[in-house]
Amino acid sequence: MNMHDTEDMPPDVDYDEDEPSFSDPEDFVDDIDDEELLGDLLREKPQEADGIDSVIVVDNVPQVGPERLEKLKNVIHKIFSKFGKITNEFYPEGPDGSTKGYIFLEYGAPTQALDAVKNADGYKLDKQHTFRVNVFTDFDKYMNICDEWETPEKQPFKDFGNMRHWMEDPDCRDQYSVIYESGERTAIFNNDPKDPIVAEERARWTETYVRWSPKGTYLATFHQRGIALWGGEKFKQIQRFSHQGVSLIDFSPCERYVVTFSPLMDTKEDPQAIIIWDILTGQKKRGFHCESSAHWPIFKWSHDGKFFARMTQDTLSIYETPSMGLLDKKSLKISGIKDFSWSPGDNIIAFWVPEDKDIPARVTLMQLPSRQEIRVRNLFNVVDCKLHWQRQGDYLCVKVDRTPKGTQGVVTNFEIFRMREKQVPVDVVEMKGDPESKNAFAWEPNGSKFAVLHGESPRINASFYHVKNNGKIELIKMFDKQQANSIFWSPQGQFMVLAGLRSMNGALAFVDTSDCTMMNIAEHYMASDVEWDPTGRYVVTSVSWWSHKVDNAYWLWTFQGRLLQKNNKDRFCQLLWRPRPPTLLPLDAIKAIKKDLKKYSKIFEQKDRLSQSKASKELVDKRRSMMEDYRRYREAALLQHQEQKAARLELRGGVDTDELDSNIDDWEEETIEFFINEEIIPLGE
Amino acid sequence: MKPILLQGHERSITQIKYNREGDLLFTVAKDTVANVWYSVNGERLGTYNGHTGAVWCVDCDCILNPRKTLEPCRPWLCKQLAMLNTSSAVRTCGFDFSGNIIMFSTDKQMGYQCYLNYFDLRDPQQIEDNQPYLTVPCAESKITSAVWGPLGEFVIAGHENGEINQFSAKSGEILKKVKEHSKQINDIQTSVDLTMVITASKDCSSKLFDSTTLDHIKTFKTERPVNSAAISPIMDHVVMGGGQEAMEVTTTSTRIGKFEARFFHAAYEEEFGRVKGHFGPINCVAFHPDGKSYSSGGEDGYTRIHYFDPQYFDFELEA
Repeated sequence: MNMHDTEDMPPDVDYDEDEPSFSDPEDFVDDIDDEELLGDLLREKPQEADGIDSVIVVDNVPQVGPERLEKLKNVIHKIFSKFGKITNEFYPEGPDGSTKGYIFLEYGAPTQALDAVKNADGYKLDKQHTFRVNVFTDFDKYMNICDEWETPEKQPFKDFGNMRHWMEDPDCRDQYSVIYESGERTAIFNNDPKDPIVAEERARWTETYVRWSPKGTYLATFHQRGIALWGGEKFKQIQRFSHQGVSLIDFSPCERYVVTFSPLMDTKEDPQAIIIWDILTGQKKRGFHCESSAHWPIFKWSHDGKFFARMTQDTLSIYETPSMGLLDKKSLKISGIKDFSWSPGDNIIAFWVPEDKDIPARVTLMQLPSRQEIRVRNLFNVVDCKLHWQRQGDYLCVKVDRTPKGTQGVVTNFEIFRMREKQVPVDVVEMKGDPESKNAFAWEPNGSKFAVLHGESPRINASFYHVKNNGKIELIKMFDKQQANSIFWSPQGQFMVLAGLRSMNGALAFVDTSDCTMMNIAEHYMASDVEWDPTGRYVVTSVSWWSHKVDNAYWLWTFQGRLLQKNNKDRFCQLLWRPRPPTLLPLDAIKAIKKDLKKYSKIFEQKDRLSQSKASKELVDKRRSMMEDYRRYREAALLQHQEQKAARLELRGGVDTDELDSNIDDWEEETIEFFINEEIIPLGE
Repeated sequence: MKPILLQGHERSITQIKYNREGDLLFTVAKDTVANVWYSVNGERLGTYNGHTGAVWCVDCDCILNPRKTLEPCRPWLCKQLAMLNTSSAVRTCGFDFSGNIIMFSTDKQMGYQCYLNYFDLRDPQQIEDNQPYLTVPCAESKITSAVWGPLGEFVIAGHENGEINQFSAKSGEILKKVKEHSKQINDIQTSVDLTMVITASKDCSSKLFDSTTLDHIKTFKTERPVNSAAISPIMDHVVMGGGQEAMEVTTTSTRIGKFEARFFHAAYEEEFGRVKGHFGPINCVAFHPDGKSYSSGGEDGYTRIHYFDPQYFDFELEA
């Protein structure tokens, strides 16, 4: 065969026939839609609506004539370019040639338009002109609101029964929640000094842990989809809040609102990280972004629940309820603000700002809602500050770490603000010793003492101070060489527990601060938590499975340090006392009861004695019946044993081995001497 | 009471047993050695060498003389009587009431199943051929502890999953079974008259059963896994010893001797006393046949013999 150039080769008929045809048959209609084929391209197809979504309408624009129009446009440009590139603008003119007073601006993307609305709305151009900015599409929305008013459907009243039922226990037993079996079971117990009595127990009631509301009305449980609130006598579900992946919650002190936090669900348009809910209606009141990884709770509530506030970079935002809007419609610009805290007794915020060039650090007390600064305190050479309010808001302690001029080291001062006195005088207590070590500080609730732990292990000292009315702060007592890293005051004051938790192996010291005596020193090995009951009668120390994998249990002590119960629970995790709502008794009624206490104690003691003897009687009866049962069983078994004697003899070749001395005759007696002791007795002269 | 301390092992004690009269105490440990001591003063009588691996169990024949002891695959008669080879480790063993039949169970390891084997010592052929007259396989859960029933008719075995089964010594079939424990049974011991057995389990409890019917009679609860339990021959008491897994020991209190033997009242199921002294979890407890003393062997390699004070015998819970 000759070699030809390929161009000269005739079409290969055979070849064509073997090759299959790739064209569709004549009337083929494909069943693949565009979405499947080029879905990703379609998504980018410019939508008609897009254009309108990026348009904003600005009202209250100065009406100017054509000669000043250029200038106006420049000003508008300057203000509104901040939010994005302005792609289009329209300044409608009236019949007289001047602008109508409203303009249209178009941005490249709807997000920029929204940004402009958020930030430029309310912008004060000059005294007569404050911009009102809206998204164009909103106009349509509001125009089209249905004229017919549909009365919202009446929801049936859900009666949850007596929500304060647990308070009516005739023996005044407090409740506490226990999570055990590593979270599988949650139980509510009534605290009885003899033995805890189960009120309710459920498996998988919560997925992580539980929280009580501040007045004890609700129990909150955590789930993947959100939280649930339970209450009433039977712990029925009161309310559910859907917040995917919720991890932290906080209640308002009045129990009207709950704040939930989830790290999952945040989007730029729809803030979902933090949501505030109305507990009674179940409505979502407002959502917030969560920018920084600050301490929870990010929103701090005022004591009466009227305000809540949060701190962001250089800003303090205070919101009011129930509108959930910013107080006075704007946040406070406080440059460098480091920390703030509400007074637990009044609507006062304390915050501190560190040093800034020539301006010293300072602590400020601000009254709300007036925003009046009622006290400012300058501090010099400050390294760090911590704010500690006394439970009733009577005192504020600011723990200040400073490096005094000319020295290298850091010293600690406590600045005590006396809130109840005119002009809020401040007294200073100097702490000696190395503040680098972990200090603990705690105010006495209901009182005017505070306790401080300072020093390095093993030489940790516990000091007690009394803030006296005459302007002095007196050191009452100092205990040294304590094994303690935490202070737990009784919620009623006067008594407290110094605890060395976790790494300090659970050393406990029970102190009566009226005369600063140690009532008892004890230990709950590897204790991880200490919890006082709300009345201050009992203390629970516990070893949580979350921190230590064995010996998980909680122990109940009296306030004086006498151990009452040891409750072992398989993989015990957490115990929380149910808080009590504030007492309804007026102060003078409380005083009268205290005066007549002897009369009441007699009645209580009698009651206690009766129940004690009842308990021992019950125990004795129980034991008696158990013994009888056991005896009966043993007799029957022995009878059977006797019957089998013949068989036994046979098995052992006729030798009776039933008793140790059954065949004494067979015994050999052997005398062996043992060496027991050697004693050297010197014979005197 | 002041205990007598027996130091003869280099590794943790796995089992201790008194002979029938109680004058001898046999201890075996993971160090491949078996020791025998006089229980009256703790003096060591002798040592049995020859095992090549950890010795898990020991049993002593009840005929007055001669003494035979049985350890994994080696019945000794003062000196070695016989050696029975097995394919996997022997976990439990025991002489029956007559002293003629041995049973032992092998572990489930290295591809071998768990078997319960019966040998008749009167038949030299069995020993020579290394062929038990009866072998019972245990498919599901391996046997962790076993004792003979009252008349040598059956073996009561405790399993890894908490079950207790009665295996007939003649046919090997399961006569009765109960599941009262939720976790592995670490030890089973009989009362001195063989009418009751007490089980010690990893589920932190110990239970008393009737030997013949396997009826569950009593339960004793603690918060630590129980390694061993024994019934007092003369009082209505039981003693239990336990502790955590060896792996978790470092996280417990390092206070000296925190591992305790606990005494419970058998009828009331209430704990009334504890004896401290061991430096590690207690692996085995045993009462002296006369009930006037008891011994405990621990993970620390020590065996402690305790003679009770007179107050122990007078003690009574209010009823």
